[in-house]
Amino acid sequence: MKPATLVLRNITRRRSRFAFTLLGITVGIASLVTLLSLGTGLEKEVRKQADVLGAHLVVTPRGWCAYEQISVLTGETLPEAIPDADVRKISAIKGIQVIPYLTQRTAIQNQPVPVVGILPREMKEYKKWEIEKGEYRLDEKGVVVGHGIAKQFKLYVDQAIPIRGKDFRIRGILAEVGNRDDLAIYLDLPVAQELYGTGDKVSFLSVKVDDISQIDKYILEIQNTANVAVVSDKQLLKSVLGIVGAVGNALQLIAAVAILAACFGIVNTMMTAIYERKREIGILQAIGAKRRTIFALFLAESGFYGLAGGLLGVVAGFLFSFAAAPYISQNEFTAFLGSEQTVRLFDPLITAQALAFSVAVSVLSGIYPAWKASRLSPVEAISYE
Amino acid sequence: MSDVIIRTDKLSKVYDNGYRTAALEDIDLSVERRSFSCIMGPSGHGKSTLLHLLGGLDRPTSGDVLVNGSSLAGMTPERLAEFRNRTIGFVFQFFNLIPVLTVLENVQIASMLAGVPDREQKERAVGLLTSLGLLDKMEARPNQLSGGQRQRVAVARALVNDPDILMMDEPTGNLDSKSEAELLDLFGEFHEKGKTILVVTHSDTVANRAGRIIRIKDGKIVPMAG
Repeated sequence: MKPATLVLRNITRRRSRFAFTLLGITVGIASLVTLLSLGTGLEKEVRKQADVLGAHLVVTPRGWCAYEQISVLTGETLPEAIPDADVRKISAIKGIQVIPYLTQRTAIQNQPVPVVGILPREMKEYKKWEIEKGEYRLDEKGVVVGHGIAKQFKLYVDQAIPIRGKDFRIRGILAEVGNRDDLAIYLDLPVAQELYGTGDKVSFLSVKVDDISQIDKYILEIQNTANVAVVSDKQLLKSVLGIVGAVGNALQLIAAVAILAACFGIVNTMMTAIYERKREIGILQAIGAKRRTIFALFLAESGFYGLAGGLLGVVAGFLFSFAAAPYISQNEFTAFLGSEQTVRLFDPLITAQALAFSVAVSVLSGIYPAWKASRLSPVEAISYE
Repeated sequence: MSDVIIRTDKLSKVYDNGYRTAALEDIDLSVERRSFSCIMGPSGHGKSTLLHLLGGLDRPTSGDVLVNGSSLAGMTPERLAEFRNRTIGFVFQFFNLIPVLTVLENVQIASMLAGVPDREQKERAVGLLTSLGLLDKMEARPNQLSGGQRQRVAVARALVNDPDILMMDEPTGNLDSKSEAELLDLFGEFHEKGKTILVVTHSDTVANRAGRIIRIKDGKIVPMAG
């Protein structure tokens, strides 16, 4: 016989209490894993989208808030704010390539879909897009759509597609690129400006510089040329990741509170177990169990809750985050998150962190009850009725 | 070598829960090796307290207990636990088996605590249970046994580490007369095999089997007449 036999038999002797205590820690760890998993996916996706943007600099109107900066990466609807005159002046600066974006939104089958007004030739060259079906032709009547949108809504070449009450034809479907470019409808920029009544304005500019070592000089030059804000891709990434991180931390804190509550559940269960098993503790002492043995037995019980609850929580957390990701993607903030590409069903680092945390807090929760058990007087314990 | 296995020196135990109660006062007692002794006396006069002190389950307020020449008062709690594990086998009135363990495991547990390897634990436990007629009950839980069977399991547990001394507190108090007689026969066998047996009891049947009766009254040993 091994001490583990006694620990396991004791844990499961009150099955409903065991189940509810386990459920507490499982729910706490599951929420932590879900948030960690979604957060990690979100961060990876933000980095990926920053790469996809392919810009060294992003030119935005002055006074844009963090949400709008995130939206540059997510492709959400943005206010049109940079007039064509400024775009032309900035484009005239030597040594940079400027790509304007007008990001708007339409609906297909009552679901929101991003619409991006672009300069077709420049964009194709810039993004190195390829056509999967049809042709790459954007004009007054024609649009191209991303691979993901075509797949999701079963769109095909030559299909009529209404945007803001006007019928367009799908001229082509882009080959899959594996990022948010798959999830938009592309219009010729002047057509989009007219359709959405934005005049000659665009939402933001993506800028590529020829000489990266001169990036500060280009920033100054752009700012001197027009009344705009310029951020580097690194600044943008840092700013967005800062927000994502802060939100993630706040959510993880909430999960930690859930785990803390579960810990009190463990303390309560263990204290109750000690009172119920007081006489048995006395017997163990009478037949030679040392204080540290009693302490270890009870600590192992609480640690088991952490291990089992942690394992169940990790499984539940990953399943939930994996299942929830597409639904969360309906949210404007996380529109780009919704794919199995970003949220992994299993992450060894998160698993290890969550399990270690679960076991650690459960063991910590067990210290006081285990200490109480180990300090019982054998005579008092044996005489307990 | 002295024949005395347990000796007390002015052993006293006072409970102080707001007011002082002297459970035992200045007990000087010697128990001979391989003896079968009974501690008798009215309820609440200190019999169990004396047994607990002799077995190292409780600490005296003053005085000392020497077992095999070693002072219990000077032992740390960990050392005292080791002493109980190896030197004393306890049997209590209410059997005190662990309900979640099987009969076999209930016996093994004492040798597990002694650090005996798994296989040897099982060999010892099976040997004892066989000799006590419980071979077919090894996988049963305590609640599936009769009172007499439970007490035999408790005896097996007390003996599994081959202690020098068996200390029992009202071991037949919850048994019918047939089970009591069977158990007393067992005690007789262990005594013949060289164990020192010390029993707290109210039962004259038990007392009749003992070679010596120690009477306690008001926390003091009553001197033998004559």
